[in-house]
Amino acid sequence: MEQLLTEFPELSRGALRDLRRYIDGNFKDFTREYGELIETMFDPLKWFLLWVQSVLLATPWPIVIIVLCGLAWLASRNWKLVVGTAAAFLLIGWLGMWEDTMVTLAMVSVATLICIGLGIPFGILMARSDRLQAIITPILDVMQTIPSFVYLIPVVMLLGIGKAPALLAVCIYAIPPIVRLTNLGIRLVDREVLEAADSFGASYRQKLFNVQVPLALPNIFAGVNQTIMMALSMVVVAALIGGSGLGTPVLRAVNNQYLALGLFNGMAIVAIAIIFDRVSQAYGKRLQKHREGGHGV
Amino acid sequence: MKKTILALAATGAMLVAAPAAYAECGSFKMAEFDWASGELMANIDKFILEEGYGCEIELVQGGTTQIFASMSEKGSPEIAGELWVNAVRETLDKAVAEGTMKVAVEGPITDLGEGWWVTQEFAEKHPELNTVEKVLERPDLFPDSEDPSKGSFMGCPAGWGCQLINANLYRAYGMEEKGWRLVDPGSAAGLDGSIAKASERSEPWFGYYWSPTAIVGKYGLVKLPFEAEYAGKDNWDGCIALPEQDCENPQKTSWVKSEVFTVVTDDFMEKGGVALDFLSKRIVPGPVMGEMLVYMGEEQATGEDAAIEFLSTKGDVWTKWVSPEVAAKVKAAL
Repeated sequence: MEQLLTEFPELSRGALRDLRRYIDGNFKDFTREYGELIETMFDPLKWFLLWVQSVLLATPWPIVIIVLCGLAWLASRNWKLVVGTAAAFLLIGWLGMWEDTMVTLAMVSVATLICIGLGIPFGILMARSDRLQAIITPILDVMQTIPSFVYLIPVVMLLGIGKAPALLAVCIYAIPPIVRLTNLGIRLVDREVLEAADSFGASYRQKLFNVQVPLALPNIFAGVNQTIMMALSMVVVAALIGGSGLGTPVLRAVNNQYLALGLFNGMAIVAIAIIFDRVSQAYGKRLQKHREGGHGV
Repeated sequence: MKKTILALAATGAMLVAAPAAYAECGSFKMAEFDWASGELMANIDKFILEEGYGCEIELVQGGTTQIFASMSEKGSPEIAGELWVNAVRETLDKAVAEGTMKVAVEGPITDLGEGWWVTQEFAEKHPELNTVEKVLERPDLFPDSEDPSKGSFMGCPAGWGCQLINANLYRAYGMEEKGWRLVDPGSAAGLDGSIAKASERSEPWFGYYWSPTAIVGKYGLVKLPFEAEYAGKDNWDGCIALPEQDCENPQKTSWVKSEVFTVVTDDFMEKGGVALDFLSKRIVPGPVMGEMLVYMGEEQATGEDAAIEFLSTKGDVWTKWVSPEVAAKVKAAL
């Protein structure tokens, strides 16, 4: 009895080993059977990402900076942000990180697009059904908290190394906030507003697209913002499986104690993150202001 | 200082036979390199040193460059069982000349080496492509997943010493012009994963690896010999092993002979002299190491589990390294 309390009744070494081998064996069979198919399914995403990357790399750098500044201006209408964007990218280029930055930019943009494309519909579905919310929430919890190194192994076995697995790893980590905040935003829409829409005889579709989603936009934008941030924080992890970009020099720096190299590339990631964050937040705020004040933007 | 060390080393050597000396072994940090054979070596050493010689050993995990930097800068960890010296040769030579480090044994594992490998299936299907130079003419057989017009050559993960070597050899052999792409697998997991995936799915794979490793044993990777001769130390150490900007004109060469040493710091020589004798005799034959690594892979054994398996089943190998008294103590502890 005493032994039972002091020593945890654990599985025997042999049984534990058999269990691990069983899981590994099954996964191996699965990859042998379906690996190629799954890889083909990811091909369009891979080619899209490679296309975005090659466009960014082929475009002359002044045009890239002008376009980025233009986007910052359109979203925020804030001169300081535009100047900051230009300065950050000029510095990045001057310190020799232009190509890696473009690769990272392509990865983060495509990952964000995928997350938005999948995340918003999922968030809407989740807001519609409490049962679906109860199922999806724990899945999102797992996706956000499971150490990414754990799923890198199966991802590499399925997709090999390169852009596609890196994209998948980034999306697994970055999609939860947009799903959560879309769900939250729609659930927070005033019941009275919905009743008003009902009394005007709005169809489900009209209610969703003309009332709920527009009113939830500030929250959805907070989700987009968080998704971008999380995608950027995965850049180094993605580099572990051949995602390249700014993460690769960071890994090289970690392995060789190159302080300056690590710092430069780390700061480049931070600079992109701050720009994306401020711009998307400013855009979200402008949406909100328009709705609250009601007069002029 | 030097005299003291010599004297101490000599005393240590004399005292090995005397059981009283065991008490003199102190507490040390030992490098546990972050690959399977490194883990196994560290755990075998730890077990024998602790149980047989009464040392206290704390394992420190890390890669070659981190561990070696810490050894040479801070003098800790004091023991590195399986140090691949090619990557750190210059610093090591200097440290040995200055007396801050000592090579306990050259080649603690036999039959090992780095190089360029292909999968077993590829080697069987293309027996005519049996050297690096012949394979280099056929990038079309290894289509790259991101640019199928090119051949994919799997290099070394970012930051490993071999990354620079592969990048320079890539230039020396004009692989870019031949239509190859040098792929960075990003990490050890990425590199292993790419081999496992290719072997499991019968896809071709060509890239850098080394033995003794479970992957080589398990998937039967085939190391391709270079047709080019080794082009000398100046070319290798003065160019190939350096960052690209410091190696203007890399010459074609075969891979340098890999050397693995067991290295200890002066501190260990002073305090742990008794154990030095063991470390200098401890040589694991390559096939035995390969067998243990496949065991580790299949059983998913940790370095510690595998060390116990090794000590339990390979008595004929390790009892030769130690005195009968020590062997008895270790056996009793198993």
